[in-house]
Amino acid sequence: MLRKLTSYVRALLHKDKVERDMDRELRFHLEMEIEENVRRGMSLPEARREALVRFGGVEKFKEECRDVRGAPLAESLLQDVRYGARILYRNPGFTLVAVLTLGLGIGANTAIFSVIYGVLMRPLPYKDGNQLVIVQQQAPLAHVLNVPFSVKEVQDYREQNQTLDAVVEHHSMSFTLLGGQEPQRVQTGVVSANFFDVLGVKPLLGRTFVDADDEHGSDAVIVLSYQYWRQSHGGDPSIVGRTFQMNNRPHTVIGVLPPIPQYPNEQDVYMPTSHCPTRSSEQFMSNRNARMMSVFGRLKPGVPLAQAQADLSTLASNLQKQYPDSYPANRGYAASVVPLQDELTRRAKPTFLILLGTAGLVLLIACANVANLTLARLMRREREMAIRAALGAGRGRLIRQLLTESVLLSFAGGVLGLVLAAGGLQLLVSFAARFTTRASEIRIDGFVLLFTLLVSVATGLIFGLMPAFSSDRNLTGTLKEGGGRSSAGLRRQRVRNLLIVAQVGVSFILLIWAGLMLRSLIKLQHVNPGFDPERVLAMRISPNWSKFNTNEETLALLLRILDKARSEPGVLSAALGSTFPLNQLGITNGPFNRGFQIEGRPIPDGELLPQADFRTASTDYFETVRQPLVRGRTFNEGDKDKAVPVAVINQSTVRHRWGDEDPIGRRLSFDRGQTWLTVVGVVGDVRQYGLDREPPDEIYIPLAQAQFGGNLLVRTAADPMSIAKLMREAVYEVDSDTAVDRVQTLEQVRSDAVASPRLTAILLAMFAGLALVITAAGIAGVMALSVNQRTHELGVRLALGATPGKVLRMVMREGMSFVLVGLSVGLVGALLLGRLMSALLFAVEPTDPITFLAVALVLIAVAAAACFVPARRVTSIDPMLALRSE
Amino acid sequence: MAKSTDLIQGTLDMLILKTLALEPMHGWGISQRIQQVSGDVLVINQGSLYPALYRLEQQGLIKSEWGSSDNNRQAKFYELTRTGKKQLTEETENWERLSAAVDRILQTV
Repeated sequence: MLRKLTSYVRALLHKDKVERDMDRELRFHLEMEIEENVRRGMSLPEARREALVRFGGVEKFKEECRDVRGAPLAESLLQDVRYGARILYRNPGFTLVAVLTLGLGIGANTAIFSVIYGVLMRPLPYKDGNQLVIVQQQAPLAHVLNVPFSVKEVQDYREQNQTLDAVVEHHSMSFTLLGGQEPQRVQTGVVSANFFDVLGVKPLLGRTFVDADDEHGSDAVIVLSYQYWRQSHGGDPSIVGRTFQMNNRPHTVIGVLPPIPQYPNEQDVYMPTSHCPTRSSEQFMSNRNARMMSVFGRLKPGVPLAQAQADLSTLASNLQKQYPDSYPANRGYAASVVPLQDELTRRAKPTFLILLGTAGLVLLIACANVANLTLARLMRREREMAIRAALGAGRGRLIRQLLTESVLLSFAGGVLGLVLAAGGLQLLVSFAARFTTRASEIRIDGFVLLFTLLVSVATGLIFGLMPAFSSDRNLTGTLKEGGGRSSAGLRRQRVRNLLIVAQVGVSFILLIWAGLMLRSLIKLQHVNPGFDPERVLAMRISPNWSKFNTNEETLALLLRILDKARSEPGVLSAALGSTFPLNQLGITNGPFNRGFQIEGRPIPDGELLPQADFRTASTDYFETVRQPLVRGRTFNEGDKDKAVPVAVINQSTVRHRWGDEDPIGRRLSFDRGQTWLTVVGVVGDVRQYGLDREPPDEIYIPLAQAQFGGNLLVRTAADPMSIAKLMREAVYEVDSDTAVDRVQTLEQVRSDAVASPRLTAILLAMFAGLALVITAAGIAGVMALSVNQRTHELGVRLALGATPGKVLRMVMREGMSFVLVGLSVGLVGALLLGRLMSALLFAVEPTDPITFLAVALVLIAVAAAACFVPARRVTSIDPMLALRSE
Repeated sequence: MAKSTDLIQGTLDMLILKTLALEPMHGWGISQRIQQVSGDVLVINQGSLYPALYRLEQQGLIKSEWGSSDNNRQAKFYELTRTGKKQLTEETENWERLSAAVDRILQTV
């Protein structure tokens, strides 16, 4: 065995030497034979001839010798590859079309897979990422699934759990950073000292927090995130050690993080809990009901999730028994544990999986097309195949030859696909970023390459095997003339028709998906948002809180800014508000929800308070965003601090709480009856959290009475962005420590609100369009070939008296019949699979008849055109020529 | 073209081994010797000789070496290995047993 292997390897390596040896040996034998013949009395030429005759076919027996020596497989494979490459090179048209088709199909799959791998499959870039969990408190009876934690609760969970190695807290704040070029509003993550240790994140520069940083009275330190460091500080390598002013205290930068996905949202800066003014206040820390933080943990090694869940549930029920006031029975109280990886990918999964399915189907269609093309070419190569078989090539060898060609093609397609996918990667990353913070992990790396390789080879085998197995076994039949009419020819035709049916069916499904998505998108864009976003500029104003001692001073600053804004040229109206409709921050940070009481409707013990979103608005707010006034009045100058507290509510609130009654003049309270606000007006509903979500109940309070409200809204006469700089400078003129950021027009905001469905629709439409083009090309190809082959038969018909038009119609009818069969198959498929789409659709049923009808018409029209163009040749057939041809 | 020879493959192998047992020889010499010793009854076809030689070499029963022939030409000489000697004894025994059995049958009928 070993000897065989060594001889094999030697034969492979020293192929030339082995060949030469054999030549020499055989030549020696021949010479001896000739000598012998001469000795026996023949003349030299006779002797040579005799010897050669006795010798037999030298090449053939060299071949046998070679076979015995070994190394047949690798060599013949190489031979196949060289031969296949030559064949493909000699048919550039076919090769180009096939490689292009495959490239598009494989490229689409590679692209989508790289997204899915990066986001859904790759383990988190944290140490032992699958051990990281999110702990959530829930009030299930009140339908609240994510109650933040208070300081005391974090403590309890940290100390009383048995299954978690470490428990860390996190909450998001927005502070103003001074000391750079401009005052900057920075999104700050306030975390426990061991937060980065638990995640296993090593800093890029400097260090992360240690326990000493989290103690009261320690020096204030911050860690910068990678993106923030690159964008706002130019990636300055000497940033560690620099000091900035935040919250009236110097904060020193001690480190920079590497580029990793952040949960729950992207932060600019991180600080320890002891330096967040709110979090470290005595009042906050001692109040069990002051809840703000989210909690992560790491499972103890070897502890299954279920065990941790049981442990925490017990913990929760113990807390409930210990502090019944904090966990009222009527709201229920529970704790839940979920893996971090799941949370990070939850929103992305349905969309990405649908896209993968779509890409897979497109690849199948591409395969079907290339299989069709290959079948068509095979027919021309039948004689070549028959001759090879006659010369002794086994069926296996023939099939291997064909497969080698198809794998070569699909390999080339794979390379093209990789290039295409790499080109479109940036686009995909920005698409994915809307669904998850893991988008930065999408790249084309080893795994994706492996996937592409596998898909390429599989594709080649799939579309190669089909035609290969349909080759004729009847050699003599094929070697004769007119091979196209053999039984294999018929079988091939049937296979090709089947492929067309399949292609049409799958294209239909893809077109339906794209069509549904498009309709959904159109419906979404036509939703009335409840306000008029045209020509309104929005920006976030963040005063330096620590500069002002009282709320009144902050309010005075805000009002000064508002006055300045109103006095600028080009400004039609200006206002301040705690938020504005479709504000992305509002959507990601959750509703600012509070419970309230209506006068005259006492809440019995144990029942939940009615909830509504709580907002502040200055005078002119509703006029600036054009939120319609339905009843009563909006805020005016008279609604000042010392005046009667008032409120304006929206129609949704009225509907839910008062029905048909007039709410004007009624009073409500947010603090259990200590202060009462009088309702003075009703405004229209706005779609605050997305065009596809119901408007929430809203209660507005005047800015002057609430004393906070950080968004400046300006309605302009001209293009809003043109005065953005002006407005920014105006604010700085009033107070140079006030940060201005998130400058955008409400039009942009509204456009952003539909960005995800728009991108998904675009991608699906592209795939479906691709599928349609490939299918149409396939139909045209099959049709052209069929007409070509049937020239004789059609010529007979024409000669017998049929008009060209009639023949054309007949050919078309036959072609379209397959299309219609495919359509029905696709119809059934689309009805069954439509349900998968419902997660992505808005106001459109997966079985929407209008979409189905439109898609069917488009498909029939395109298919008819694809049939017609090649079929037209029928009319130009000269019957005499056709009859004579074979 | 037929792969089979005038002799059964195994028999040819045995004859080659026997021939080489006497002295190392090149391919031409082997075919001549067999022809001579059998009195021209067995004429070895080159198409079977060389493949058989290569096969025997691969199986480790003979080994080869380039040398010069009597008339000073380069030729490949084969010689028996120890494994080959053992194999030859086995084959010879088998052959004798086989031919004795065939003889018995032919004589009884």
